[in-house]
Amino acid sequence: MGEVEKQLCERIKGLLSADTGVDLIQPEGDRMQEARTTTVRWLTSLGREGYLTPGVMDGRNSVSLVVIQEQLAALAPSLFLSVEASTRIFGRLIAVYGTSTQREAILPGLTSGQLIGAAALSEKGMNIENDPLNTTAIPSTDGFRVTGSKGHVVNAALADWIAVAGKIGGEPETAFFLFEKGSKGLLIGDRLATLGYEGAVISPLRLEDCPVPSTHVIRPIDGNNVLKTVRLWEDQVLTAASLGLMRRAFDGATAHAKTHQSGGKPIIAYQEVGFKLAEMLTLFQTSQLLAYRAAWMSESGDREANALASCAKVFCAESAEKIASEALQILGGKGYLRGNPAEEGYLDAKYLQIAGTSTEISRMKIGDAVLAY
Amino acid sequence: MDFHFTAEQLMFKEQVIRFAKKEIVPRVQEHDLKGEFDAHAFRRLGDFGILGLHFPEAFGGSDADVVTTVLAGEALGEAGVDGGLTLAYGAHTFLCADTILAHGTNAQRAAYIPKLATGEWIGCMGLTEPAAGSDVASMTTRAEKQGDRYVLNGNKMFITNGPVADVAVVYAKTGKDLKHAGISAFIVEKGTPGFSAGNNLIKMGVRTSHTSELIFEDCEIPETHLIGQEGGGFLMAMQTVEWDRSALLAPFVGGMTYVLQKCVRYAKERYQFGRPIAQFQAIKHKLADIKIFIEAARTLCYRIAWCKDQGRPLNHLAAAVAKLFVGDWGLGPANDAMILFGGYGYCHEYEVERYFRDSRLAPIGGGTSEIQKKIISKLI
Repeated sequence: MGEVEKQLCERIKGLLSADTGVDLIQPEGDRMQEARTTTVRWLTSLGREGYLTPGVMDGRNSVSLVVIQEQLAALAPSLFLSVEASTRIFGRLIAVYGTSTQREAILPGLTSGQLIGAAALSEKGMNIENDPLNTTAIPSTDGFRVTGSKGHVVNAALADWIAVAGKIGGEPETAFFLFEKGSKGLLIGDRLATLGYEGAVISPLRLEDCPVPSTHVIRPIDGNNVLKTVRLWEDQVLTAASLGLMRRAFDGATAHAKTHQSGGKPIIAYQEVGFKLAEMLTLFQTSQLLAYRAAWMSESGDREANALASCAKVFCAESAEKIASEALQILGGKGYLRGNPAEEGYLDAKYLQIAGTSTEISRMKIGDAVLAY
Repeated sequence: MDFHFTAEQLMFKEQVIRFAKKEIVPRVQEHDLKGEFDAHAFRRLGDFGILGLHFPEAFGGSDADVVTTVLAGEALGEAGVDGGLTLAYGAHTFLCADTILAHGTNAQRAAYIPKLATGEWIGCMGLTEPAAGSDVASMTTRAEKQGDRYVLNGNKMFITNGPVADVAVVYAKTGKDLKHAGISAFIVEKGTPGFSAGNNLIKMGVRTSHTSELIFEDCEIPETHLIGQEGGGFLMAMQTVEWDRSALLAPFVGGMTYVLQKCVRYAKERYQFGRPIAQFQAIKHKLADIKIFIEAARTLCYRIAWCKDQGRPLNHLAAAVAKLFVGDWGLGPANDAMILFGGYGYCHEYEVERYFRDSRLAPIGGGTSEIQKKIISKLI
């Protein structure tokens, strides 16, 4: 880890350890405004520390970005999802594919943490690979009218701007439509009750003949690549989230194993526990290296960069579930109670394999890559 | 962190692949079937410069960095060289020669390293005993100082290259009551009275490497054959670990790449239910798992090599993680590859079963997976 990343990680740690309640916001109904205020407060603090900008303008993943992402994801998993959805997914979309007017209007607020962004991609499930998007835009006098619905949108209920993926009638490629909060015809559903990531605000949304001016549209540039690229960014964020989850669960289990005594010695001294931790650390370190190498390949434009990103996503997300499960086992009765890193990680872990490109679809992509299909 | 390879490193890897495909791979299957050491191929490895790649030029080596050495190991596997020959190379170069190079006197280096670099002589290393495997300190082979000589008594077990070696680095106790601190390392040449090797053990895999017992019965060697100081042996054995966890693991990882290439070709050619089996998701799933393993495992090997090139002290934790991962997590993909080939995969002709047998050694040799877990859990 370089000096810059080290210092940033320390600052993030300092920032978040001051408020342990950071990741336990569970907003409902009329408390959504409160959740927004809290999120903006954290975003601006992180923005001041320089966390919100890396990799946004150029859309590139990098080893140093993954390192700092892992730190935030380990300290505040749900806040991490929210922050990344706003910056490294929505923000990158605007920075890389948006018009200069869009960039000027949105990016300064976004990277300073004053504004929250969201990207709405998938519809019925979380998958966008096999079925065409139903969200459709019909041309109108000064732009389009968009109709459709989206399933699981991180930040939807908090966001100032939402980018919605859809098709312009008759065109094969996907476009993104930018809606401001409160746009006419934009209906945000209730926050979904989820298995994990309880602090994240994930909601469905519906667009009913929702008008959008042409200036608020990101038109397809080169085929289907925009949607695919946004999906890749999402996968990279989830890979980093997996690393954070593993670190959090592993550290929790290790601390417990070293201090909890059984039969007159710390339980780490028993092979049943010590060897479990050894396997967990092996998976964690291997995941880290694979994720860093995938990021490095993306940074250096390696021809295998996308296949490696998929390898890292699958390996890290699956390892996260295994590590969380073993961590919970090591914590024993304590782990089974609400409110500890292992239990939280255990509940969060499934999201990482389902969201973004699912592990099943990722494996098929890796298979296609090695087959050169 | 940098994952960059230089153009020279990548070019050399390609050269090794081409060389091995032409000169070694055509001989591999027959030797594996017969369980024979391929002495000709071993010499060719020496001629090409692989056996002494990282040795100083003054001793017949090429002064290569560790990353290049790891890439060469990976290249041998990737070309299709069997795990037996690469193991013989590993035991020779890293466990025997490197110990003399790193800890020996100039006279010892000059006497052995040039011959070992070319493959004119073959080396082996004796640490494990019939009753002392993971518990190294419990070894009972003794070296007693008598005047200007040491007298060795005891048996070593599972010694790669034992039956074919010209020279052995042997660990024995010089301090009677001491555990690790009583272990010393010695050079013993073939033909020394009282020193003999047992018969080649018939193994499940890595069959082209010959493995045997080493027997010492009042075997007298000059005191100048002590490597380093008395009692320094355990640390020397541990220092080979860096090589063991990078350059010796690399051929397994490269071998998996070879297997993946074979699987891809087969999956495209093999038709069932009217289409190539490559089009079935179950097959792609296996290919993906093999690919994920390769990418994860090679990164672990590169890390250790890179750190050694940077002059960093050995990180025992990272080394154990690499060994544990390549050993244990490699079994699934090796099995997947064999299953992908169906009935053919079970037959010798298709090579994947050879890799399956060879790779089964990875969690056993050079410190079992359990020992790696013990090391890791102690260091957490």
